[in-house]
Amino acid sequence: MTFDAVRYAELFRTESREQLQTINRALLAMESGDGSVPAALAEVFRAVHTIKGMSATLGYQSLADFSHEMESTLDALRSGNARSTPALLDALFSCADALESALGSSTEHSTATDPMTDAITRLRAAAHAPPPLTSAPPLASAPHPFPLPPPPPLPVSPADPLVGPGVIVRVRQSAEAILPGVRAFLVVEKLRALGEVGAVWPPVEVLQTADTPQSFAVRLSTQASVEAIEAAARSAGDVEHVDVDVAARTRRASLATRALTGEETDREPTAPSAITRQVRLDPARLDTLVNLIGELVIARGRLLQLTATHTDPAVDETMQHAARLIGELQSEIMTIRMVPVGQVFDRFPRLVRDAARQLGKEVTFVIEGKEIELDRALLDEVGEPVVHLLRNAIDHGIEAPSVRSAMGKPRAGRLSLTASRDRVGVQIRVGDDGRGIDRQRVLMRARELGLIDESLEALDEEQLLRCIAQPGFSTADAVSDMSGRGVGLDAVWTRARALGGALSLHSVDGEGTVFTMRVPATLAIVRAVLARAGTERYALPLAHVRETLEYDEHSVQTVKGREVLVLRDEVLPLLYLRDVVLQSEHAGTTREIVVLEHGDRRSGLVVDELLGQQDYVVKPFDAAREGLAIFTGATILPDGAPALIVDVGSLVGSQ
Amino acid sequence: MAHTVLICDDAIFMRSMVGDILQQAGFEVVGEAETGAQAVEKYKQLRPDLVTMDIVMPEMGGIEAVREITRFDPAAKVLMCSAMGQQALVVEAIQAGAKDFVVKPFQPSRVLEAVQRVLG
Repeated sequence: MTFDAVRYAELFRTESREQLQTINRALLAMESGDGSVPAALAEVFRAVHTIKGMSATLGYQSLADFSHEMESTLDALRSGNARSTPALLDALFSCADALESALGSSTEHSTATDPMTDAITRLRAAAHAPPPLTSAPPLASAPHPFPLPPPPPLPVSPADPLVGPGVIVRVRQSAEAILPGVRAFLVVEKLRALGEVGAVWPPVEVLQTADTPQSFAVRLSTQASVEAIEAAARSAGDVEHVDVDVAARTRRASLATRALTGEETDREPTAPSAITRQVRLDPARLDTLVNLIGELVIARGRLLQLTATHTDPAVDETMQHAARLIGELQSEIMTIRMVPVGQVFDRFPRLVRDAARQLGKEVTFVIEGKEIELDRALLDEVGEPVVHLLRNAIDHGIEAPSVRSAMGKPRAGRLSLTASRDRVGVQIRVGDDGRGIDRQRVLMRARELGLIDESLEALDEEQLLRCIAQPGFSTADAVSDMSGRGVGLDAVWTRARALGGALSLHSVDGEGTVFTMRVPATLAIVRAVLARAGTERYALPLAHVRETLEYDEHSVQTVKGREVLVLRDEVLPLLYLRDVVLQSEHAGTTREIVVLEHGDRRSGLVVDELLGQQDYVVKPFDAAREGLAIFTGATILPDGAPALIVDVGSLVGSQ
Repeated sequence: MAHTVLICDDAIFMRSMVGDILQQAGFEVVGEAETGAQAVEKYKQLRPDLVTMDIVMPEMGGIEAVREITRFDPAAKVLMCSAMGQQALVVEAIQAGAKDFVVKPFQPSRVLEAVQRVLG
């Protein structure tokens, strides 16, 4: 391949995923009777066609063959009077699934998978398409996994259509001609431009459907020279040999040649117009740009500090101006990375439908706030947790239709997925109108597992979440293969925290449950309070800092052997940053307290010194793998020293 | 001066690929269109030397777009980009006024040959 294969493979994956969403959307519309069946089929056809073209280009042969088969059947369907039957829909959905799983793993060498073969067989059956002509198992090592019917035989009863006025032009196509039939048709068209085509043999209708290189003859009445005729024939391409037989040219004047020019066109001079051009940007470049602007923001912080003590108003004014420009630059660049959550949310309706069917539930699914934007890097991360929450809601939240009817609720449960902006980022809510979480059962189970204090009589929502998000915690009677065993919620919680966000829930018995996941709008930059413990400095994300205070002996008390901070009428557990980060040496400096909050929980964190707040560029690293689960990332301070960013969630949560 | 090209395809993938092939050969891509309707509009606006046209596009297909473009400018040079299995459609496109065609998967040399034929 003479082109950048990696870049195209990436483009292919992105675009085919979009096409797949289009397919699923169209199929869902078809199923719900939204819009016309032919329109939906046409849309699916278009998307499949695009996937076919791209995969063929990349040499992903099995995928190209599969989409070609799918396309052929769809083509027959959309031109007939196809009706939407459950069998057809199921077949189309399984085709979409086979496509999806193949898209993820396609390479030049991958072969057709069983799901592909099954799906095609079902689709053909549902569309009453003829079965493949070979009786051999379709995937026996044949190079073409989806055998096509052979072309219709050529008619074998030639009269002699080439007898008559004009010259005979004999053309032989080159062996490598692609779509030779069409190419031959083009030869005829090029000749037609020179005069009148009397006859073509084989007949043009047969010729144009040929799929092997052809030798054919054209009788042409023209006054053009032999050279001109030859040139015209060759201009159609893939012509190996042309022979113009002038002996057949009659003395009779040929019919008037066709005028090659049409009527005068009104070519009014147009001013060069402004062209809006789309710029394609390599994501890696964008990341570099984001990093650089991050460094620039840090440098701005440092410069502002340095110039704060400057007395020259001119320097001050220029610095302020530069600072403002850097701020604007930063927000512009960050906008480039933002994408609407709809890009990920759009694949959920299909998933909800499938899960609901599998579990025998009826679900009305509503998505709101698709246009809310998130950093591209973050959006990829939130997809999976949202899937967990949706599945949980369908499996455990929404009751079976009969149960709902008996309770006087509509048979179909309502499931909503909502994105909205909040103070520090984006909220993603998954809500259902199902049975709600049974607090009593969770309480009993939590006692059995020793997760909570025996004396606890009731669970508040924070404690409830904490319990059900324990790995392995489950109160489900029957373990379904979707989301039983409570697996998932702990993953959701961990993920939300790893992203610097939080998870909370609100559940009302018999009325439903809402999970809210809060995430920052971007991962690239975090506004944080810098604090020192021992010789090291740590960043505490501002989104979780409620306030900072001077350490005061009177407000620190000991309750049940633990130090607590009494703040107004609140009692907060007290932590020492020094202990948390295992800094042993003691530096006897002033001590200050940062009040951290995470969800409904608050803690006081004693630090050796507060060093102010600033924007920091996040350098992600896999903290959990390094055994440092209390950090989410690292940053480089203006003086070049590294600092770790504290995961407030795990810090406050560990209390 | 470099020849100007308008690339019409609903897939960015294909537009990039055709664009890369032509740009490497010294063409200037002056516009891109994602639908047939856009293609017609941009042709009128940009008057490119060459148009590459996908057959299957939303809103208005490639064939209808060729018809419209040729009606507007009978000298328009439109190169159809087709896939295997679209014989009948390519024939229709040629009848509608397309000057030549290439077949996906694209081989750069074949694309350039076709372009030379169309512009020659």
